[in-house]
Amino acid sequence: MKKILFSVVLMLVALTALAERKELHILSANDMHAAIECFPRLGFIADSLRTLYPDLLILSAGDNRSGDPKNDMYEIPAYPMVSLMNIVGFHATTLGNHEFDSGQEGLAKLINMSAFSTLCSNVHPDPKWKINLRPWQKFDCGGLTVGVIGVVQLGSMGIPESLPARMTDISFTQPLETIKQYEFLRKECDVVVLLSHLGFPTDVEISKDLPWVDIIVGGHTHTQLAGGEMHNGILITQNVNRLQRVTHSTIVVEDGKVVSKKAENIAVRGEKNENKAVAELLKYFQNNPAFERVLAQADTPFLVKEELGCMVTDAYMTESGAEVSYQNAGGVRYETHAAGDFTVNDVLMLDPFQNQMMLADVTGKELVEMIIACYDNDGQRFPYVAGMTAEYSLDPATNKIKKLTLYQLDGKKLNLKKTYRLAINNYALAVSPTNRKDQGRPTGEVTSDLIIRYLEHQGHVNYQDRRCLKVVK
Amino acid sequence: MKLKINRKTIEVFEGAQVRHALLSYFALKGLDVSQVERLVVFDRWGHEIDLDAPASAHEVIKYRTRRK
Repeated sequence: MKKILFSVVLMLVALTALAERKELHILSANDMHAAIECFPRLGFIADSLRTLYPDLLILSAGDNRSGDPKNDMYEIPAYPMVSLMNIVGFHATTLGNHEFDSGQEGLAKLINMSAFSTLCSNVHPDPKWKINLRPWQKFDCGGLTVGVIGVVQLGSMGIPESLPARMTDISFTQPLETIKQYEFLRKECDVVVLLSHLGFPTDVEISKDLPWVDIIVGGHTHTQLAGGEMHNGILITQNVNRLQRVTHSTIVVEDGKVVSKKAENIAVRGEKNENKAVAELLKYFQNNPAFERVLAQADTPFLVKEELGCMVTDAYMTESGAEVSYQNAGGVRYETHAAGDFTVNDVLMLDPFQNQMMLADVTGKELVEMIIACYDNDGQRFPYVAGMTAEYSLDPATNKIKKLTLYQLDGKKLNLKKTYRLAINNYALAVSPTNRKDQGRPTGEVTSDLIIRYLEHQGHVNYQDRRCLKVVK
Repeated sequence: MKLKINRKTIEVFEGAQVRHALLSYFALKGLDVSQVERLVVFDRWGHEIDLDAPASAHEVIKYRTRRK
């Protein structure tokens, strides 16, 4: 009996030794938001991991663009990110809602320039856009067949959160129902990856309905997980945005079955060691001469900040088709500007925050309340205005606004009951929280884009002695 | 669009980031809005999220001041 038992144990040991053990290594990023400056470091991390694991799979969970004008305002918007992702060796990305910021044609162009695949199962563009998407793709990673399915979140309007006009003639299907159509990949692949731009809460929610998925590489909510988290048997990963960290996931497969999975964070931003080739490419994009382009001539110098503030609000109002505008004083970042050339770089230094342009329909009374709130919350600095002038008095003890009167440009008082279309940046809107009907909506444009367009349309500007604010005692 | 910050419900505009929700919250509470950039923000499970995160993706957030 002892001999038989011993033989059985020996056989089991031998079988275990024969079991085929393979590892899949994934390097994943999410919500990079045009953090091009981090790519030399990311290139180094990818190279290091590839040295150890030659079949490393590199994935992005979407929102690669929108966050740095050097990327987003490139001649082909967002091409620097595509180029840098190509050189680092990304295999696939899914679409984030911000990938639609390029519009249909812009997105099609970027995908065609990508050396990696764009996978998104619930986005169905009309063929006329020539958007080269695939719902899923199989990758051979050192003998392991890895199925990757992409998916993007849908907002309350049933489309990803971007400007609806940029999604005309693109249809969208509900994420979970769509993903379920690809369950056949379980039979055909050793590992199934869901590349998700749904956000962490949704990833957790859907994990209970997708027992055949091994790992969800997530994005959208900018959630910092400690490596990864197991939910309903699925490993979920995600990091905060702009390449502060990436995730290295290891999935062990024995005899065609996933037997273990784990993930760890790797710091990117601010760390040493860079890939020099990637650093050179970055330098090329950062020194883009297009940013020295002259937009307009300042016929006279801007001698006080209010003159620049007036120009900024004029630009917001004119280029967004609004009737009035105001801008928090702290958002105008320099005091003076010489006569002569006004370049793209000058605009990006004047308005560097990549704020979004917003529109709100507000009554004259609501506008007065908003401006007072903005003054109180922006360090008691009065905002610059356009389409109107402001006359106000201050309480000498508290420095709070005692009385504020807004005037139309013809000198008549603004009608407190009339509704005006207001153009405002999203920061100023956030620090002007009042009880009003219309909380505001994004136009889908960055405010500096409107200033650039305004200057190009004007050709020449003259704001000498222009004043929009008057303090009365 | 509404979300809860430290148990207070805040209404924010469409397309707002977590930053904008906190700016409105601080403004309504009469707190110094310049402190918002120094906050560490967490989701309902206690995971850290960044200020650029879309407000629409979070129903509840909490914050604390970053330790020096």
